[in-house]
Amino acid sequence: MTTLEAGIPSATANARVVLRREMRELWESMKGLTVLFSYTVLLSIMSYVAASDAQLNLLDARESVGVIVQVAIGLGALAALVVAADAISGERERGTLEALLVTPLQRRSLIIGKLVAANTMWLAALIVALPYVFSLASGPGVAADAVAVLVIAGSLMSIALTALGMAVSAVAGSNRVSLAASIGMLLVLAAPSQLPTVTANGVLGSILIRANPVSAGLKLASEVLIAQKSWASQWTLLVSPAVAAVVLTVIAVALSSRIELGDAR
Amino acid sequence: MRERSQTNPAVSCQEISVRYGDFVAADRVSFEVNEGEVFGLLGPNGAGKTSIIRALTTILQPSGGTAWVAGSPLSEPMSIRLRIGVLPESNGYPNRETAIEYLTFYAMLFGVDRQAAAPAAAESLQRMGLTSRAHHRIGTFSRGMRQRLGLARAMVSRPRVLFLDEPTLGLDPSGKEDVLGYLSTIAARGTTILLSSHLLDDVERVCDRVAIMDTGRIVSTGSVSDVARDADVGTTARVALNPADVLAALNAVQSAPFVAAGHVDEARRDELVVQLRTSTDSANQLATVLLRHDIPFRSIELRGARLSDAFLALTSRPQIPA
Repeated sequence: MTTLEAGIPSATANARVVLRREMRELWESMKGLTVLFSYTVLLSIMSYVAASDAQLNLLDARESVGVIVQVAIGLGALAALVVAADAISGERERGTLEALLVTPLQRRSLIIGKLVAANTMWLAALIVALPYVFSLASGPGVAADAVAVLVIAGSLMSIALTALGMAVSAVAGSNRVSLAASIGMLLVLAAPSQLPTVTANGVLGSILIRANPVSAGLKLASEVLIAQKSWASQWTLLVSPAVAAVVLTVIAVALSSRIELGDAR
Repeated sequence: MRERSQTNPAVSCQEISVRYGDFVAADRVSFEVNEGEVFGLLGPNGAGKTSIIRALTTILQPSGGTAWVAGSPLSEPMSIRLRIGVLPESNGYPNRETAIEYLTFYAMLFGVDRQAAAPAAAESLQRMGLTSRAHHRIGTFSRGMRQRLGLARAMVSRPRVLFLDEPTLGLDPSGKEDVLGYLSTIAARGTTILLSSHLLDDVERVCDRVAIMDTGRIVSTGSVSDVARDADVGTTARVALNPADVLAALNAVQSAPFVAAGHVDEARRDELVVQLRTSTDSANQLATVLLRHDIPFRSIELRGARLSDAFLALTSRPQIPA
C-alpha cells in the first residue's frame, strides 16, 4: 500500500477545500440559518419601530434610515464575529483540531478558508438587510446613499471583525474565552459611538471615533444619512475600517503559526 | 527535498525530548521502526507516549533531538504529513457531517481531486466495514463506529506510516478482532504502524516490537520476549487454595529463595499469584514448599512471562493511599 501520489497540495487549493466544508457546515446545518433568522426578526422589529416613529413624526425619516443602517451593520458584523470566534477554538474544544493539523493542510489555509466562510454570514445578513434599508430609504430619497453605506462600511467592518474574532480564536485557551473576548472587544470598539455630541465633536472625541473602525463606520452612516453631509467630505471615515480590515486579516493569518492544541501532554 | 533510501527505517527517533515549560514529558527518547513493522509504544498515563507521537507527527516542536519519518526529517513537516495517517488521542468528530463527506474532505486535504476523493473515501469506509453507514450523520455513530471512522480517516490517503493512539479503544470484541486483523494485513502489505495502547493483550498480538516508556524515558525496547527478559519477570504461578489457607500459603512461599514476589489475587480470594525468579523453576518446587507446611492446594498453573508482567515490572505505578 502506498501513499496517494498527489504531491503537497497548494495553500490556495486547501483554503478552498476548507471554505467549501465550512460553508456546508454553516449553511446546510441550522447554525447559520438560525443566526440569520434571529437577525431577520430583530431587523424586522427595528424597522417597524423606526417606520412607525417616522410616520408619527417622533423620528425624522432620514434618522430612522440611519438607525436601521447602523443596526443592520452592527448586528450583521456581530453575527460574523461570533462565527469567526468559534472557528479555531471550537475545533480545539471539540477535539477535531489535531486530526486537521496532521494533514498537509497549511495552517494559514485553515484560517483563510474559515475567514472567508465567516464573512458569508455578513453577506447573507447584507442580502436580508437590503430590502428593509431600500424601502425605508426610498421615502426620504436616500436609498442610494443608504445602500452604499450598508455595503461599503458594513463589509469593511465585517471583514475587520471576523479577522479579529479569528485571531482571538487562534490563540484563545477555550471557546468560551474566545467568544467572551471577541464580543467584549466589539463592545469596547462600539462604545465611542455613544459619546455625548459635545465630546464626540471635540478634537479628542473626533480622533477617537475616526481611529476606531467600528465607531467610524457607524459615524459614516449618521453623517451621510442623517446630517446629509456629502461623501466627498466624509470618505475619510472609511479609512480606519479599511485599514483595520487589512491589518487584522494579516494578523489573523500570521497568528495561524501559533495555533496549538492547547492540552499539553 | 532530502530523501532517505528505502533501506532506512520508516521512523527513526533520535534523542527526542519534549518539554512543556519546566516539565519534561519526553527525555532523549530513541527508537527505530522498520518498514512494514508494527511497533507498540507502551507506558502508563503521563509516560510521554502522546508527546512522542505528537512530535513525530509534527504537531509539537521537540525541544531536542532529531527524527525522520517516512523518509523526511522533522524540519520538513509537509513532506511527513503527506505520507502519514494519524488516529490521535483527542479524536472528535463533526456530528452533522456524514461519514462520506467527512472522509472526502480529508482525502482532498491530501491533494486528491474531487472526483477521486469520494471513491477513496468510500474505499476507506469499506475497509473499516462502514459502507452501510456512509451517508449517515456521524452524530448517530456509536463509539466503536467512530473509532473505526477515525481509522478510515487515517487510512484515506494510503499512508506509508500510521500513527495510532489507542486504536481499539471502545470497540466490542468482534470490532477489535476486525481492526487488529486489518492492521496485521496492511502491515504485511508494507505499511508501517506505530501504535500506543493500554490494551497489552492487543499489543502482544499485533506488534513485532515494543518500547516501554516510563516518566518520559524508554526503559526497554525489543520484541515482547526481549522486553520480558529485560524486565527479568521470570515465570508466574497461580496457586488455587482454600480461601482459609491463602495467607498461610503466602507466608510460606515468600520465604522460599526461588520466589521473587507473591500476592493474593484481588479478584479471586482463593488464588495466590507467585512470581518465580527464573523460568527453570517449576511447579514441583512450589508444591514441595506448600506440602512441607501442610497447606493443601487444588492446582498450580505455570505461565510464561507476558508483556503485562514486563510492563508492571518496568513502570512505576502511583501509590494509592489506603
